[in-house]
Amino acid sequence: MMLEIFVSFLILFAVWTLSFYNYRNYSKPSGIEHQNVWAVFIDFNTDNDSLKTIYRDLVRQKLKSFPEIEASAFTSSNMPYSFSSSNSDMTYNGKHTHPEFMSVDPTYPDVLKMKLAEGRWFTEGDKVNKIKPIVITQKMKEDLFGNDNALGKIIGEKDDRKQIIGVLSHFKFENDFQAESACMLEPLGGWQTDMLVRVKPGTTVETEALVSKAIVQLGKDWSVEIQHLDNMKANKNRIIWVPILILLIVCSFLIFNVALGLFGVLFQTISRRKQEIGVRRAIGATKSHILWHFVGETAVITTFGIILGLFFAIQFPLLNVFDLEAFVYIVGIVLAIISIYILVIACALFPSKQASEIYPAVALHEE
Amino acid sequence: MIKLKNIEKVYRTSTIETLALNEINLEVGKGEFLSIMGPSGCGKSTLLNIMGLLDEPSKGEISVDNETIRDFSDKKLASFRNQKLGFIFQSYHLINDLPVLDNVELPLLYRNSSASERTQLATEALQKVGLSNRMKHYPTQLSGGQKQRVAIARAIVGRPEIILADEPTGNLDSAMGNEIMDILIGLNKNDGTTIVMVTHDENMAKKTNRLVRLFDGTQVM
Repeated sequence: MMLEIFVSFLILFAVWTLSFYNYRNYSKPSGIEHQNVWAVFIDFNTDNDSLKTIYRDLVRQKLKSFPEIEASAFTSSNMPYSFSSSNSDMTYNGKHTHPEFMSVDPTYPDVLKMKLAEGRWFTEGDKVNKIKPIVITQKMKEDLFGNDNALGKIIGEKDDRKQIIGVLSHFKFENDFQAESACMLEPLGGWQTDMLVRVKPGTTVETEALVSKAIVQLGKDWSVEIQHLDNMKANKNRIIWVPILILLIVCSFLIFNVALGLFGVLFQTISRRKQEIGVRRAIGATKSHILWHFVGETAVITTFGIILGLFFAIQFPLLNVFDLEAFVYIVGIVLAIISIYILVIACALFPSKQASEIYPAVALHEE
Repeated sequence: MIKLKNIEKVYRTSTIETLALNEINLEVGKGEFLSIMGPSGCGKSTLLNIMGLLDEPSKGEISVDNETIRDFSDKKLASFRNQKLGFIFQSYHLINDLPVLDNVELPLLYRNSSASERTQLATEALQKVGLSNRMKHYPTQLSGGQKQRVAIARAIVGRPEIILADEPTGNLDSAMGNEIMDILIGLNKNDGTTIVMVTHDENMAKKTNRLVRLFDGTQVM
C-alpha cells in the first residue's frame, strides 16, 4: 500500500506541477491583442531584397485605401503563433540569454496593440542610426541586466550593435501557455515579406478576398495567403493542451486503479481484523472510534508513502530541474499531498465505516 | 447486579427462524461467581453476549447495576461496557501486533486516561496475573495460559465490577486451566468482582458459587 501511495504521489506531483505551471502562464497577460488581426503571407516572386523593399511600400500604400484596415506592419516570419523561430545567444557583461529575434515595422505595436513598460518604440527616423534600436521583453531585461536600467544600453557584436530603447511589459508570442520569454524586436531588414494587418471588428470575408486580390494585382505572379491570428493561436495552444489533457486522462486512469487497489487492500485488512474490531468494541470502542482508527492507520501509512515520495520530489526544486521556479514545484508538492490525503481518506472511509458497523458479537464469534 | 427478565433471542434468515434463548430469567448478585453450563449450541455464549451488551435480545429486559439497558446510544453502550464490564474469551482475542503491555492498556485508551496512568494501571494488572516480566513480549511469544492471563489483565485493568468469561479455560490443559481459575476466584474473593463464566468443564463450574444450566436455549436449573 505504501508503494502504491508513493507512486501515486509522484504521478500527482508531476501532473500538478505541469498543470500549475501552465495555468500560471495562461493567467498572465499575453501583451498583444490577437482579435481582428490577419497574418498575410505574400510571395513577391523575387529574391531581390531591393525589389522586396519597393514592393512592400506598394503593398503598404494599397492597404491604406481600405477603410476597414486600421494598421498594418511587415514582420519577419516568426510572427506570434507562427511555427517559425529565429533565435541566438546574447551576452552582456557575462550574463547570457537566448532571445527570439523579430524584425518588424515601426507600426507593429499598433497592429498588435502592444504596450511598453518603459522607453519608446523605434520609428522610421531611427533607421539612419548606425546602432540598431531594439525593443526587448522584460524577461530579456532581467536576464541581462537584472534590476538595473536597460534603456540606452548597447548589446551585440561590434559589427551588429544594438541599443535598447524600449522594454515590453509582456509578450507571449508562441501560445497562451508560454512563460515570460526573452525576445528582441528590431527594425525590418530587406527580405521579409510577411505582414500583420489589423482590421476593424466585423470585417467580412468579402473584404478579405478584396484585399487579397488587390495585393496580388500589384505585381506579376504574386501570391497571397491570409490567415487569422486567432486561429493560429488556437492551433498553437492545442499543441500544448492536448498532450496535457491526454496525460491527465492517463493519470486519472492510473489514480482510479490505485484507488481501487487501496479499496481492496483496506477491505482485506478489515476482514482479516474482524476479531480485533470485536474486541475493541467489547472493551469500549464506539463505532466512531473504529471508523477513525482505520482511517487514522491509513493516514499514517499514507504519510510514510508521501515522505518517501517527498525525498524524490524535493530534488526537482533543489536541482533546478527543467529550469522552473522552485515555487512551481512547491505548489505541485503541496497539491499532490492534499490530493493523496483526499484520495486515501475517501478510499478508507467506506471500508472503515463498514468496519465500524460490524456487530461485536458477530465479529467475536468468527474464528 | 445483572438482571435478565424474559430474555428471548431469535436468529432470523429469509427461510429459517432459530430460537437461541427462550424466556431466560436470571439474576446475578453483586460479588457472585456464576457459571453457565450446557451442551454446544444451547445458547450459552449468546446469553453471555447479551449480558455483556454485545448483542441485543429479541425480547425481554436487561438491567446492569440497577440501570435498565434500553435505547442506549452506541456511545453510551460503549462507555457502559468500558466502565462496568470486563471480557475474557476462550481464544483470548489478543492483538498480535501489539506488545502485552499495549494489549492490556487497550480499554483505558477509550477512557481518555493519560499515557502514564495507562502504563501504571496495566503494569499493576499484569503484576496481579503474574506476568510483569512479559510486558514487552508479543502475544505470539506466549503460551496459551500466559495469553489467557494477559486477557484477564486486560479485563481487569479498568477495574470493572463485572467480568464475563466465555470458556476461559476451554483452550488450556487442566494445569493451566486451574491456574486461570485460581486467578478468577482470587479476583472474585479478594476484589469482590462479580464473575459470570460460561464453561463446559464440570470441575471448573463446581468451583463457582452458583451454576446455571441451559438446554436448547432454555434455563433448566
